[in-house]
Amino acid sequence: MISYLDIAVPPRSVHLWRYTPWKRIHPTKVDEVPTVDEFFFSEGIDFQSSSSDEIARSFIHTVSKKSVFLELIDQITDLNIRASGHMSAGELKIKSSGNSTLIIRLSGEPGWAGLRITGEVEGQLSVVLVNDLAKDAHLLRCDDWKVSRDSKLEFSTLSSGGFLIKSDIRVDLTQPGSSCTGAIASHGHESRHDDHHVEIIHNAGHTNSTLVIHSACGGSSHSVSTGLLTIVKGADGSDAGQVFRNLLLSPKARAEAIPELEVLADDVKAAHGAASAAISPEQIHYLCTRGLSPSQASSLIVEGFLMDAFRNVKNQKVIDVIRTRLLVHLECLVNG
Amino acid sequence: MSEEVLCIENLHVSVDGIEIIKGLNLVINKGEVHAIMGRNGAGKSTLANVIMGHPAYEITSGTIHYLGRALEEFEVFERARAGMFLSFQYPVVIPGVQVGTFLRKSVKAVRGDDSLSPRQFRAELREKMSLLEMDRSFLGRYVNDGFSGGEKKRLEILQMLLLQPKLALLDETDSGLDIDALRVIADGINSVTTDAGCLVITHYQRLLNHVQPDFVHVMIDGKIVKTGGSELAGKLEEKGYEWLETAA
Repeated sequence: MISYLDIAVPPRSVHLWRYTPWKRIHPTKVDEVPTVDEFFFSEGIDFQSSSSDEIARSFIHTVSKKSVFLELIDQITDLNIRASGHMSAGELKIKSSGNSTLIIRLSGEPGWAGLRITGEVEGQLSVVLVNDLAKDAHLLRCDDWKVSRDSKLEFSTLSSGGFLIKSDIRVDLTQPGSSCTGAIASHGHESRHDDHHVEIIHNAGHTNSTLVIHSACGGSSHSVSTGLLTIVKGADGSDAGQVFRNLLLSPKARAEAIPELEVLADDVKAAHGAASAAISPEQIHYLCTRGLSPSQASSLIVEGFLMDAFRNVKNQKVIDVIRTRLLVHLECLVNG
Repeated sequence: MSEEVLCIENLHVSVDGIEIIKGLNLVINKGEVHAIMGRNGAGKSTLANVIMGHPAYEITSGTIHYLGRALEEFEVFERARAGMFLSFQYPVVIPGVQVGTFLRKSVKAVRGDDSLSPRQFRAELREKMSLLEMDRSFLGRYVNDGFSGGEKKRLEILQMLLLQPKLALLDETDSGLDIDALRVIADGINSVTTDAGCLVITHYQRLLNHVQPDFVHVMIDGKIVKTGGSELAGKLEEKGYEWLETAA
């Protein structure tokens, strides 16, 4: 495995690094490996993780002092990850079987946090990560999931915390019958920068995936949603779709939504779409006729838009957690 | 003495520079049910929307008074809080917002923060949903999202029952309803008419068989050209509108 300092800094022409280049999300200078504090994990046992040739994963592995393994067998688990100090990082390995639910809450007030997650799914796993980091935090997150035969991964993210976020999520549907449902809701406010890149690869036939990203873009925020959906040669009978939507709340807010498809098999269904729009005046009017002021109406529409990203998520516990956290987040914004 | 809820005098309304309502007069008192009938494009829905304050409609002349106050003093949400309610012909979808959350926020806004405890709200909600034969699972669905035509109309009437309006405007609430649904919706409407003035816009007599109107108005080309009792609806069903066009 190549060490971090030997990996070339990726150019911005690479899809993944177009909007948030490596030097922007690196906590110091790209040729430095700073000393960072370790994450606090409320669950799991220590384990020896392995590195990666990918720059972000390699970096988190290099600086992390804490790696935790979590095995889930037919269970619901709440995992609190707390980042502290000026810089903080950690690695999490998950192995899931049966029908399991994992609620991850990432909180703390670090200047920079790096989280690397690797997961293997057998059976059904619904995992949600709620980003509750303090508003000045930078977050680098890298996920790698492998989904086995006839297994299903639901991965959800509520991204409302932090100031600069770079998230790189990759899902490998390795065997026939595997499927994944991805849902991400991002709330851009003030000058928050939130970049989500999701790659889903259909490596076998009869695999299914859906991905929905909703970004509500207020203030002078910048939301980035890029995706790469690959169906390899021979993965016939696969069905894949991704939809990215942006709700523009401010003339200064910016949003990029770039879903990409690479289909190398013949007999597949694959679709992608992206849309950006302001709040519908008809929705505002309807809610006003029910007594809500225009600002109350807008807030409710934003809340609904973000929750609607999780429409395909079947796990009610996950939905309830997201709704509760979203309401708290929006109320905190309104009430300062 | 009857209590005047709505008074419209010589109302002219335009949309995008085209005059739709051309000198309309109407008074609705508390406890009265007024039905407005007319062909498509006569201006019926425009009337309901302009009363409720839709920003696309411009009042070019004339006045509307609600409970003695000029309506232009009210923003849309203030009209709702003052007791006006419009049941939409095409209710708007609000994705991601659960019906239960929406109803709670709406009742809180219109009836006031302290009007109902959470327990009282739930009890009242159960009672009204039972009246409208609505399943509890409605509350977890997103507002009008994926609803059938009948479900949308039931939700509109449920809102009306919970918001307890002083003026109810019902814009083709009967359209798209089967016979059983029509009866249920009509029961809902009848339960508010004692304490409210009610304006029912409809194309068909069938709703008026269940909701007895005190007055039936015929609207042609932006004006009320004939007013009568409930028997007028039967005559329209039989003869159509042609015989009134000369008068218009």
